Amino acid sequence: MSDRSPVIVARRVTKLYGGVPAVRDVTLEVEQGEILGLLGPNGSGKTTLLRMVTGYLSPSAGSLTVAGHDTVREPMAARRRIGYVPESVPLYSHMRVREFLSFMARLRGVPREAVAKAVARASERVDVADVLATPIRALSRGYRQRVAIAQALVHNPDVVILDEPTNGLDPRQIIETRRLLRDLAGEHTVLISSHILGEVEKIARRVAILLRGELLAVRSVADTPDLEALFLSLT
Amino acid sequence: MTLLGVLLRKELHAAFTSPVAYAIGAVFLLVMGYTFSLTLFFTKVANLTYIFHQMYVLLVLLTPVLTMRAFAEERRTDTLELLLTAPVPEIAIVGAKFLASLALITAMLAASIAYPVVLWLYGHPDWAPIYGGYLALVLLSCLLVSVGMLTSSLTENQVVAAATSLGIFLMLWFADSAAYLAPAPLDTLFINLSLIGHFTTFVRGSLFLSDAGYYVTLSLFSLFVTTRALADR
Repeated sequence: MSDRSPVIVARRVTKLYGGVPAVRDVTLEVEQGEILGLLGPNGSGKTTLLRMVTGYLSPSAGSLTVAGHDTVREPMAARRRIGYVPESVPLYSHMRVREFLSFMARLRGVPREAVAKAVARASERVDVADVLATPIRALSRGYRQRVAIAQALVHNPDVVILDEPTNGLDPRQIIETRRLLRDLAGEHTVLISSHILGEVEKIARRVAILLRGELLAVRSVADTPDLEALFLSLT
Repeated sequence: MTLLGVLLRKELHAAFTSPVAYAIGAVFLLVMGYTFSLTLFFTKVANLTYIFHQMYVLLVLLTPVLTMRAFAEERRTDTLELLLTAPVPEIAIVGAKFLASLALITAMLAASIAYPVVLWLYGHPDWAPIYGGYLALVLLSCLLVSVGMLTSSLTENQVVAAATSLGIFLMLWFADSAAYLAPAPLDTLFINLSLIGHFTTFVRGSLFLSDAGYYVTLSLFSLFVTTRALADR
């Protein structure tokens, strides 16, 4: 572990659905500026854990803090520090890209006079500046994904959370998304989830392996030459 | 602009550009125009009592179609997740959707002001029942929209949301009928729950705080439960 301070801290986090645990007793820290990948098969609790970090779900037990703010006791302060891209890439299709990004910027607390600048910066960062005037419904899957990432960056958050960010993209778009996510490291703390081992391996600095809601291991990608073997042995 | 203002602007844009809203507005004004012309032609009385009751029926039938999308659509397309992970209190999301739907219905009601204007041009209407009628329609709209939003917040299926709210409206409408069967003091409760009972008083030109209180209380209660439903995750 480095001497960088943790930005996301999960302490014995559990989420129950009707008494059935979706996430069980997870303790995890994500350091400032790193990319941590949550890896696990479908139904392993990755999305539930991400949703708890974003404040969309409340933990049934345990605590979660983002940039020092408890996600249950100080939800607004915690959410201001987060940019989130859900798996289904939800966007308001009736809006144009600029309108959507401006709307999300205002919602996330960007002052009115700084919105245009914030939208320009985020759109250039993810290369959607050329489609700012396009209605979202007319965008390709790849552009929609980039717009979704732009809305997560528009308020310059400390933490960016992406749920299965390369799902449904073609090979070129996957490579571009990987590059973009790697570029975010350092400036933002990035938490991504994926059920594809190779994907996490190529993007993340550390990998947390989840199975049936339990955190089985957290490993540095650089220090684990055969991540595939480790994954198979654990799952 | 506050967060409520930002959300309200988005909701107003969605409401006033929706083909559903225009279809509902067209049906409302077409039916009302037809009813008004017919009533005026046959009775030749400068009175809108019958028209207000027609508007009441149309609002009960059309509001569920207007509000069914409020949360159900956001839930279906997952955009609700975007809103609920932004630093926005649930009450602001609910308030913006409520005000936007209410603005749409108020715009429809505003278009119907042509009817009292016609009565004023060609007759001598009693204005108290007309003012009372419009106040009753606005209060009724508050209740219908808030209950419609509540059912929409509980499901991602728009048809289920619309059917449930229509069911609630009809049960409230005919609540006073159940009073005949219920023993005291339940009969009083049913009478006081009646949607039409509180409406009729206004349309007669009488203004009672208890009638206004009925609409305001049920509206606020529904908005509160909607907010709780959104917050309960």
